[in-house]
Amino acid sequence: MIHTGSGRNMFSFIFKPLFIAILLVGVFGLVYLRSSVMTLEYSLGELEKTKMNYLRERKMLFAEKTSLLSIEKVGASLSGSHGFVFPDRVRVIHLNKQKGSLPYKASLEKRQLTGY
Amino acid sequence: MNKKRAIILNTTIIFSFFLVSLRLTDLMIFNHTRLSERAKLQHVKVEDIQVRRGIIFDRRGRELALNLELESLYCDPENLNLDNDSMRRLASVMAKEPRVILSKIPAAGRFAWVERKLEPDTAEKVKRLNIKGLEFLTEAKRFYPKGELASHILGFVGVDNQALEGVELKYDRYIKTTGGKVFFERDASGKTLSSGVDIEAKGNNIVLTIDEGLQSIVEREIDKAIIKWRAAAASAIMMDPFTGEILALANRPAYDPNKGGSAGGSEKRNRAITDCYEPGSTFKIIIGVASLEEKIAKPDTLFDVSKGSIQVGGKTIRDVHKYGVLTFKEVIQKSSNVGSITIGMRLGKDRIYKYAKLLGVGKKTGIDLPGEVSGWIHPPERWSGTSLGAIPIGQEVAVTPLQMLRAYSAIANGGFLVRPHVVSEIISPNGQVLASLKDKEMKRIISARTAETFKDILKSVVEEGGTGKRASVDGNEVAGKTGTAQIIDPRTKRYSKEKFVSSFVGFVPADNPRLAIIVVIYEPKGQIYGGVVAAPVFRDIADQSLSYLDIPREDNPHHAPLLVSR
Repeated sequence: MIHTGSGRNMFSFIFKPLFIAILLVGVFGLVYLRSSVMTLEYSLGELEKTKMNYLRERKMLFAEKTSLLSIEKVGASLSGSHGFVFPDRVRVIHLNKQKGSLPYKASLEKRQLTGY
Repeated sequence: MNKKRAIILNTTIIFSFFLVSLRLTDLMIFNHTRLSERAKLQHVKVEDIQVRRGIIFDRRGRELALNLELESLYCDPENLNLDNDSMRRLASVMAKEPRVILSKIPAAGRFAWVERKLEPDTAEKVKRLNIKGLEFLTEAKRFYPKGELASHILGFVGVDNQALEGVELKYDRYIKTTGGKVFFERDASGKTLSSGVDIEAKGNNIVLTIDEGLQSIVEREIDKAIIKWRAAAASAIMMDPFTGEILALANRPAYDPNKGGSAGGSEKRNRAITDCYEPGSTFKIIIGVASLEEKIAKPDTLFDVSKGSIQVGGKTIRDVHKYGVLTFKEVIQKSSNVGSITIGMRLGKDRIYKYAKLLGVGKKTGIDLPGEVSGWIHPPERWSGTSLGAIPIGQEVAVTPLQMLRAYSAIANGGFLVRPHVVSEIISPNGQVLASLKDKEMKRIISARTAETFKDILKSVVEEGGTGKRASVDGNEVAGKTGTAQIIDPRTKRYSKEKFVSSFVGFVPADNPRLAIIVVIYEPKGQIYGGVVAAPVFRDIADQSLSYLDIPREDNPHHAPLLVSR
């Protein structure tokens, strides 16, 4: 009986190098992935720093806006017919909701209980 | 020969491996701790978590105090490379004298502040100079966007954001927060890894009862009064008489809390709660309420004040005019001193003292602001022979403007003593309401009937024939009382003949009160009477505030209820 050993040769010839190649690709792939993730994380860190700078700038702009929109400043910057005009209280009517599904009733007498 | 070479090669390789192993053992075992610490220092960066104080809002959510992030300049004296030319340029950019900058830089050491919290433009210019040894650090700076507005309520903080005055101080433990450290990994070029945590810790936010619009009206009007009457100082408070919520509180002189550190003591004084004055005729509320409660008098009870003067303990007290016979209502309406003293004598010391205490005289109101004083009224056993002629007309007692406003609010709300307060809510940074500071219960101090009767009397003060006519507002009835009091001259220890305090305190609309307001003008020139000096200020504040709040006029022609459907 002659034993050719062709199956074992096939394994040695194809699978062994393939296995080693996969192993190497796997190891290098892992190293590459880890390095990419690290790069990404550093980029993220940089972006966060940029975000903080923008947030700081936003705070400055917001403070400036709040300051400019103060009633005193707006009132002082406008004059004549463009200034603040208080409502004509003769025309002020308060609407109070009645119980049930009745229409709204306008009352000039009752104290407005809700906030200002 | 080949065998010999192989042995040499093998020996060299083995020896090399042995050396490497030896070094590795040294690095990884014997010097591990020291080296790992060193490595950590190189690739781990530690930063402080930035601490931010909570934001302060007005009742409508408008920001009154917030935070900026500014850069502070520091130097490393040992590495500082500051030649004459660099110093000249730095001084020019920072708009300071070179010697001022030099005085902040020590000869040795590794850290010294050069300037804290620079303006962004200045910081940018300094950075462009690129001076070795100068570095920047970001710091939070408290910013009050409305400037002087409500400065006595807000208070201010110091350079290290430590609370110094006002709500900032009173609620410091809620507004401030603690920081900590955050660790970043960094690479050789200094790039840092994302820490994954928030590097900012925020304190709780505070919602005030103040309304920026009303505050602005009050401040504008007392500014005008100060100029018109060339007064030394002024205070005004506006309060909801039912809840004790302070809607506006202003004093003059005032200060800009953004520059709080440089403000003088007089500017920083919150006179509305820290300064006592003799209230004069506004104190007649005590006599009035006491006599109604004790049934000593009714509105139509007659008092003969025709002599125009009265003697008490050898001292003569006069009325401004001779009136004849007045009803109890007219005694208050015309602010008759003789009538008030007569009523006071019928009441007696004990009852006057009892009602003064009931209405909050000589006791702190409990307002949530620092520095409140209690004022004083002596107990009856310490009254002198003249006290019964002085206390009923508001002398020999000391009150704060807030105490008087609180007493008048008790008339406005039907007989309850409220607790004035400036903070309505404390809110966490993520918007959750942590505390609502509204009072659930109020203490009744006088009967509803007495409050109603005295309210009618106070209305007559602002009508024709009353001393407070100039406080009347178009379209709505006002109830209130004028006050004029002499100031004790600190030099002579006697009442000054030139220095007075003029005041008006009242509420509007009289029958359905929304606003209780007090105006106190210190040392006006030209005129002295509360009805002339303070009453018009009350009117102007009330008129604009009613419009601002859209409160309807009572003389509205559309009296019939209007039905509308959707």
